[in-house]
Amino acid sequence: MAVKRKIIKERVPTPERPVEERVKSFVEVNLGYTFELAVKEAERCLQCPYDYAPCIKGCPVHINIPGFISKLVQYRDDPHRAVKEALNVIWACNSLPATTGRVCPQEDQCEMNCVMGKVGDKINIGKLERFVADYARENGIEDELLFEIVPKIEKKGQSVAIIGAGPAGLTAAGELARLGYDVTIYEALHEPGGVLMYGIPEFRLPKDIVESEIAKLKRLGVRILTDHIVGRTVTVEELLQEYDAVFIGSGAGTPRLINAPGINLNGIYTANEFLTRVNLMKAYLFPEYDTPVKVGKRVVVIGAGNTAMDAARSARRFGAEVIIAYRRGEDDVSAREEEVEHAKEEGVKFEFFVNPVEFIGDEKGNLKAVKFERMRPIEERDKRGKRKIVGTGEYVTIEADTVIIAIGKHPNRLIINTPGLKVERGRIVVDENLMTSIPGVFAGGDAIRGEATVILAMGDGRRAAKAIHEYLTRKREENA
Amino acid sequence: MYKILEKKEVAMRNVWYKVHAPHVARKVQPGQFVIVRAFKNGERIPLTPIMWDREEGWITLMTFIRGKTTMRMANELKVGDELLNVAGPLGNPAEMKKLGRVLAIGAYTGIVEVYPIARAWQEIGNDVTTLHVTFEPMVVMKEDFEKAVGRHIVEPVPMDMTKDMRENMKNVTKRLTEKVRELLETEHFDFVFMVGPTGDQKAVFQVVKEFGIPMEADLHPIMVDGTGMCGSCRVTVGGEVKFACIDGPGFDAYKVAWDELIARTGYYTDMEMLAMQEYMKALQGGEQ
Ligand SMILES: Cc1cc2nc3c(=O)[nH]c(=O)nc-3n(C[C@H](O)[C@H](O)[C@H](O)COP(=O)(O)OP(=O)(O)OC[C@H]3O[C@@H](n4cnc5c(N)ncnc54)[C@H](O)[C@@H]3O)c2cc1C
Ligand SMILES: Cc1cc2nc3c(=O)[nH]c(=O)nc-3n(C[C@H](O)[C@H](O)[C@H](O)COP(=O)(O)OP(=O)(O)OC[C@H]3O[C@@H](n4cnc5c(N)ncnc54)[C@H](O)[C@@H]3O)c2cc1C
Ligand code: SF4
Ligand code: SF4
Ligand code: FES
Repeated sequence: MAVKRKIIKERVPTPERPVEERVKSFVEVNLGYTFELAVKEAERCLQCPYDYAPCIKGCPVHINIPGFISKLVQYRDDPHRAVKEALNVIWACNSLPATTGRVCPQEDQCEMNCVMGKVGDKINIGKLERFVADYARENGIEDELLFEIVPKIEKKGQSVAIIGAGPAGLTAAGELARLGYDVTIYEALHEPGGVLMYGIPEFRLPKDIVESEIAKLKRLGVRILTDHIVGRTVTVEELLQEYDAVFIGSGAGTPRLINAPGINLNGIYTANEFLTRVNLMKAYLFPEYDTPVKVGKRVVVIGAGNTAMDAARSARRFGAEVIIAYRRGEDDVSAREEEVEHAKEEGVKFEFFVNPVEFIGDEKGNLKAVKFERMRPIEERDKRGKRKIVGTGEYVTIEADTVIIAIGKHPNRLIINTPGLKVERGRIVVDENLMTSIPGVFAGGDAIRGEATVILAMGDGRRAAKAIHEYLTRKREENA
Repeated sequence: MYKILEKKEVAMRNVWYKVHAPHVARKVQPGQFVIVRAFKNGERIPLTPIMWDREEGWITLMTFIRGKTTMRMANELKVGDELLNVAGPLGNPAEMKKLGRVLAIGAYTGIVEVYPIARAWQEIGNDVTTLHVTFEPMVVMKEDFEKAVGRHIVEPVPMDMTKDMRENMKNVTKRLTEKVRELLETEHFDFVFMVGPTGDQKAVFQVVKEFGIPMEADLHPIMVDGTGMCGSCRVTVGGEVKFACIDGPGFDAYKVAWDELIARTGYYTDMEMLAMQEYMKALQGGEQ
């Protein structure tokens, strides 16, 4: 008989670094749970049955959420075992939990329909997932599990090339390596990780976490070739000759620009450039690190997604006054809730219903101000259900010495020019098995979706790995 | 990682490296470049493979010591050391076609970037004249050019030690434009190509324009990734925004918004100077 449990309505909070401290540095803002706090939060979960649990349905990769949470409670007297068992449950569906626990939009996914929400706060699934991953990493538990997995891998004698070391590529690589394929990742930049490395800032996703995820893959035997730009260093056709299958996870790296006069003035960055300078090249440590970045006294960030929040909060850490200018209203902000809250706490200001029409410079070619048209919403809705906006003919000029454009990205051009590769509106077209128009070439993540999320990219990586496994199994059988 | 097989200071402030980079050597074409990261806390900087051996897997590079990174490379890297990253080849190869009589110009170390292109153009049957204008002690690759193209002209400009660098560089620009004018007035050319500082490219273009000869310039905006992902390298060409790293680096000189490019290339000058000063201070401190 089930033990009757007391319902605890309030979430166990996770400690955060105080605002005054964090606007001066790039160290992580949220400090995460301790084991004791994690158990307290885990105890609040009602343990909905697997087939019903709305949290599992909400998670794009269907992690057995009550399953991993229950391990924390069940083995509360043995933290090591509790975390190891929990991690094993998570790893069955998600190989990068330290990352997703931090960056998933939980409020729209696993936590959205959590049953506890009807009586109190929803379970903090993201932070529990993060806790399990962090504790496991810090206490050698990941290593233990890997140690058990690696010797059991049966080599298949076939090889797969992966293009791009973002979440899609890394996940596909991990899955395929575990299935016994020889996996080589081709990455254009000097560090693997994709957006996790060059885009999402240290204060939200510390880079040593990404590095440890990559070290894990290397232990599974995955080879990573950085500095290799597919389409230049080697082509997809050449890869197909050398490998039995190819997976394209090249992301959506081409920044979208605003078609307005003055776009090439000094002081106008794309979010990609700004964040790459700051994160990948560590420009916040200039001149100890050689790459410069210029953050003026007043920074205007255009856009309101995760990228815009990251750019704005990064700019705040250089001491700038920061305004997020968005052409729609507050309800349409697409960033994670936590990021918007953190941005506000850190003093980022918001200006809604403004659309940039001109960048104004001085005689030296440096940005001075941005001219915006005021917009207003109308009743009509677009395909995504957002209210459409129209210009009002009224203009406002905001002074700024730096502008960061964060209005989205297109898939990388070098790959989509591959002959025979079917592409629509810049996105690689795939079938239900994530196979492209070229047999043996699969694709997933932002390269097929446009800008999406880490967990969707990972989900694709996992699905593609499965499809590649089936494809290569058939090939083996045909050749046998 | 990419081992430095040989290294030489071949002329004042011009350092030559032979680097093991088989993935680049296998594929690189004239007109393409690489991005090098030499130090853990270092920048990514674009450089141009000058020669390569596809079988042996090496490329050669020449750096003009300009700021902190090129200076550090010259000071700190020894034969046997490794460059952390050599990414590439990047950019589009130069078009290999019948151009007729070509004048290919390099100002300062820009001449080394002209080499693979000029040589290939000559090889496919064009009549290539190369022109190198630089300070006297900075002349490089003279014999290589003499072997590779129809005619190689060197115009060494003496350095006046009583004047500052800026004044001296004005003399180079002057000699450059005068020599180009003289050549275009006395001979027939079908095509002009140039690599060098953006200001000098613009100055030469203004001369070429008077003669109405088609001209291409390899542009050198500031780059970060070199793969089309950041937009740092954007230039306006024919009224459109282009990314030099994937749309270029070669562009029709008649369409380039030169003043905008000059302004963009100078955006970090103050910080670059600061980095250099800090580095020099640290060097002096280290020697005490
Ligand atoms: C600033 C920012 C913040 C974000 N915040 C969040 C968040 O909080 N939560 C969330 O869920 N999502 C977030 N996203 C979105 C998320 O990061 C992406 O959806 C996800 O990273 C896509 O993964 P991917 O593997 O498809 O591509 P990417 O992560 O883009 O990785 C692609 C990799 O391929 C490499 N590559 C590209 N072209 C080539 C080539 N020709 N040859 C070799 N390699 C190549 C790239 O260098 C890169 O490393 C954010 C995105 C940005 C930019
Ligand atoms: C396609 C291309 C090919 C090049 N090939 C060569 C070459 O073969 N040999 C050579 O000596 N130089 C070459 N350059 C220029 C070279 O990249 C710069 O000399 C180098 O970056 C200077 O770095 P620094 O730290 O020594 O100087 P800094 O003090 O940092 O900069 C001095 C000047 O160099 C330029 N510069 C600085 N950083 C960059 C950057 N990331 N990208 C582009 N330009 C920059 C700017 O004009 C700057 O004002 C090339 C540039 C491009 C774009
Ligand atoms: S992967 Fe993302 S959506 Fe799934 S449980 Fe974890 S945080 Fe929630
Ligand atoms: S829906 Fe909420 S309460 Fe139910 S199992 Fe999932 S996390 Fe626990
Ligand atoms: S250097 Fe980043 S887009 Fe060209």
